[in-house]
Amino acid sequence: MSKYVDRPRFGCAMAGALGVLRAIPRAIPIIHASTGCGYNVYNGTNAGSAYLGGGYCGATSTPSSNIIEKEIVFGGEDRLEEQIKTTLEIMDGDLYVVVTGCMVEMVGDDAESVVKEFAGSENPPVIAVPTPSFKGNSYYGYDLLLEGLVKQYIVPKEKKEVRTVNILGILPGQDVLWKGNLKEIKRVLQLIGIKANTLFGEGETLQDIQHSAVASLNIIVSDVYGSLTAEAYKEIHEIPFIRTALPVGYLQTEKFLREIGGYFKIAESVIEKALESERDIYFDYVERIADIYNDVDFQRYSIVVSDANYAPSVSEFLSDELGWLPQLTVITDFLTEQQKQKLERRFEAYASGLKPTVRFDTDTSSVRRYLKDTWELDSNQRYYDSLGPSVILGSVFEKDLSDEFKYPLITISFPVTNRVIMNRAYVGFNGGITLIEDIFTTLVAGR
Amino acid sequence: MAEHKLRQIAIYGKGGIGKSTTTQNLTAGLAELEKNVLVVGCDPKADSTRLLLGGLAQRTVLDTLREEGEEVELNKIMKPGFKGIKCVESGGPEPGVGCAGRGIITSIGLLERLGAYTEELDYVFYDVLGDVVCGGFAMPIREGKAKEIYIVASGEMMALYAANNIAKGIQKYAKKGGVRLGGIICNSRNVDREIELLKAFSEELGTQLIYLVPRDNIVQRAEIRKKTVIEYQPESHQAVEYRELARKIEENQYFVIPKPMTQERLEEILVEYGLMDLVEEYHI
Repeated sequence: MSKYVDRPRFGCAMAGALGVLRAIPRAIPIIHASTGCGYNVYNGTNAGSAYLGGGYCGATSTPSSNIIEKEIVFGGEDRLEEQIKTTLEIMDGDLYVVVTGCMVEMVGDDAESVVKEFAGSENPPVIAVPTPSFKGNSYYGYDLLLEGLVKQYIVPKEKKEVRTVNILGILPGQDVLWKGNLKEIKRVLQLIGIKANTLFGEGETLQDIQHSAVASLNIIVSDVYGSLTAEAYKEIHEIPFIRTALPVGYLQTEKFLREIGGYFKIAESVIEKALESERDIYFDYVERIADIYNDVDFQRYSIVVSDANYAPSVSEFLSDELGWLPQLTVITDFLTEQQKQKLERRFEAYASGLKPTVRFDTDTSSVRRYLKDTWELDSNQRYYDSLGPSVILGSVFEKDLSDEFKYPLITISFPVTNRVIMNRAYVGFNGGITLIEDIFTTLVAGR
Repeated sequence: MAEHKLRQIAIYGKGGIGKSTTTQNLTAGLAELEKNVLVVGCDPKADSTRLLLGGLAQRTVLDTLREEGEEVELNKIMKPGFKGIKCVESGGPEPGVGCAGRGIITSIGLLERLGAYTEELDYVFYDVLGDVVCGGFAMPIREGKAKEIYIVASGEMMALYAANNIAKGIQKYAKKGGVRLGGIICNSRNVDREIELLKAFSEELGTQLIYLVPRDNIVQRAEIRKKTVIEYQPESHQAVEYRELARKIEENQYFVIPKPMTQERLEEILVEYGLMDLVEEYHI
């Protein structure tokens, strides 16, 4: 029997691509798919991404070819052409991107050749990025869309700017804190003299994307995502790339800066100076909770349920910065064996000497089973050491688990519907402070 | 009086083997037996009913659907041909665009909604494009449609490869539903030992060689005149052959779930009947 996913934590490839387009100001998406695809994607992404909204050209006002049976049988290219024309007339943008649904991919509509008819005209550029979801989910869609931009939109630059980098691997929407995270990554790199282009961060525009080939390095802050984009940059624009973990909190961000600083051979004194200043600020804040932490004993067991980007970093943060007891980490994406092995290594060298049980599983209901497997059940023994107090860091799908075990839940990854997230981050120094703030707010909420 | 039963029949076979020609001559033979027949062409080329209608005068179901929407009259897409045989062409997209398979599903669905499948029909024939390339082309043998299949083949190697592959498809559907193989129709190419080869092949599949239609150029002459042989020269020997095929099908009681053979076994049979030797000895 084929595998199904119990409450998946991602959308289709087209959803991933639309998430990226949602993040780029003045980029206009055009959906070439059946009626309903755009609506479904919006409903999933909007709420699940802690209320991302549709913006100027998103949500239920996203242009869509809304193809019906006639276009399936006879091909939908004419319909797409018509849709592009009307979109150009009505929607005001600087880049129009056609993304495709599964059905038009199956019947073989050639969106890429349709958009060619609009090339060289007075119109803004129109490109097509096929996003068939039978080939991958929203993580794949993010990569396809960016790869499409690299191949079709980004202007080649022979001369590279030293110490200018692009940031890849943080997925708009899929990472509910994407915008704050990008902002913080940009800020911390700036501290050691590196100019980061995060492509769709605060204040960044299409121009930043278009001219991103000036970078001399791409940094993928993800162990597994962003390969297609990075490879395309490398092949077409000769920009090498390195992968790092998503840095959460002081310790990981220090490591991150040393790694990038090392790559660019930035003087140790420069890095040290930056770190010293950040350290003072960071621990000045951390100090605030030291009293309550010790007075009422806020050490907790932790259960982390998240994606390949967050799960390893957050687990490590809880162990090595908060001094918590990492019990279980469930990584919820579809991953290859090789990717799993790579991620497992992230759990092997905690300063605390501890190591959580790590499981890879896309099914939400499995988390409960793993939790029970890792701890002896209460069967009315005379003495019973319970797994408590504990805290779950996951998505809203962990609400049932949280209710059942009476463990407080902090939502950190898609889908997050129980709070609104705007510019907060969990990445970097400031992100660490914010994560601490959110965690301890939950713990003191009943006071 | 015996209970009236509609027989729905799908004709498959390698492209160019003569499915359409055979189907039309066969149905002409059935029409002579006073049978009420509907022929549904399931090929985007829309040439499955040309000989019955005396030309390609007809609008296809999908063209009509595209231009006029679903509110069409049945008589716009279903035309009476030779001896009242009802003729429908499913049609399809131009080559290289859209999905012809979905087109067949759409058009058969429309025929059903419009009430083409009437009580008084004795036979519905589906003449399906050469290769069953996707699920759409298997639509005629889905549940509730054709229960009988005949494969048109010849003694040529590729025709038998194709027939064996089609048998695999039939086997898949037969396990789930009522579709059965009624036999192999040999449209002779005058290959050496053709009848023995086809008999052995059919037997291996667990079915019968229901009829061998000999090769005769009268078929081509009739085609040029846009007629079936039965209409063009009713007294000819070939017309008698087609009538005999029609009678065999009318009387057929032998329906099986085929047992497609492995590639190795198929090649063994070909070697056994000398086909491979001929290929090797053939020099220009």
